[in-house]
Amino acid sequence: MSGPAHHTRKSWVLLHVGNRRFALPAESVIELAPPVRLHNFPHTSKLIAGVIVRRGRIVPVYDVSPVLCGRESSVHRFYLIAERTFGPGNETSEASAIPVNGECELATSEMQPPRENAPPYFAGTLAIENENIDVLDLQELVSAGINDSAAANLAEARP
Amino acid sequence: MKIATQDSAKSRRARSTEAVILFCIGTQTFAIAADAVQEIRSTDSLATAAVEMELAEVPKVRHLVERSHRTYYVVSGCAHFGLRVTRPTLVLILRQIRTAVLVDSIERMADVASVHALPQAFQGEERHWYRGLIYLEDRVIPVIRPEGFLTPEEFARLDRAAKSIEARDELQGAVQA
Repeated sequence: MSGPAHHTRKSWVLLHVGNRRFALPAESVIELAPPVRLHNFPHTSKLIAGVIVRRGRIVPVYDVSPVLCGRESSVHRFYLIAERTFGPGNETSEASAIPVNGECELATSEMQPPRENAPPYFAGTLAIENENIDVLDLQELVSAGINDSAAANLAEARP
Repeated sequence: MKIATQDSAKSRRARSTEAVILFCIGTQTFAIAADAVQEIRSTDSLATAAVEMELAEVPKVRHLVERSHRTYYVVSGCAHFGLRVTRPTLVLILRQIRTAVLVDSIERMADVASVHALPQAFQGEERHWYRGLIYLEDRVIPVIRPEGFLTPEEFARLDRAAKSIEARDELQGAVQA
């Protein structure tokens, strides 16, 4: 989600991570997957909790809770699957999953610029139901997790 | 004509699947192409032939074995993958690569139709460790890249260490004689 278009009314998927709500652009979301088996194997990539299999595809699962909430969460059993882009010019993309608690909803709103001093993985905010909801930039979020030592420590011991 | 058709169908089937050996290290299952493995031996049967070596730069290798006039370095699968240390009972001696791998058990062989590419999300050492992933009976299993066990630099270090062990043994033999 690079170069987000501010001040345009768009559709967003609202998701719960920890006790907070966040938003992703609806066009980047592929599906909300039910609780399926999380497969693990040895790796050293930070933030990756394992992989799930959806519709014949192997989808990496990013546990973004340590970055967004400062801790791992055990209540997330569903997976929100969205496209993550790769490369400096976002040349390629792949389906990526984020564990969520299953309470996802669709909303239409106008994105406002991010709050002052907001981390770079917040692309902006949405004012919905008297709540300011941060819009996630998945690419920045994963990069932040990779550089975050707390998340790194969680990743070292996997599986 | 009919026979030829059956043959070509058979050969198409043969080309489209790959035989892999599923093996375990600790609680993890891995796959390796069957044609990448030269032989599978018990650790007991190789114990007398194994020469101890310790190299701080390559701690996952503690032994070497001579097989068919070639030196194979024995890699601990646990140490390589960062898994909890177990008591391996088998050694996979690889073909074409001078590496032998300590594993806990062989699960079985399987024919796999396709190997999925490792998702781009994986950016760590696993890109060297694995060729890809297979989805087999509701399990995702990494497929080992045989050349990923030891880097060319590690081979060079091990070769130097092996030469000095050989020289030391020759000297000891000469002294005893």
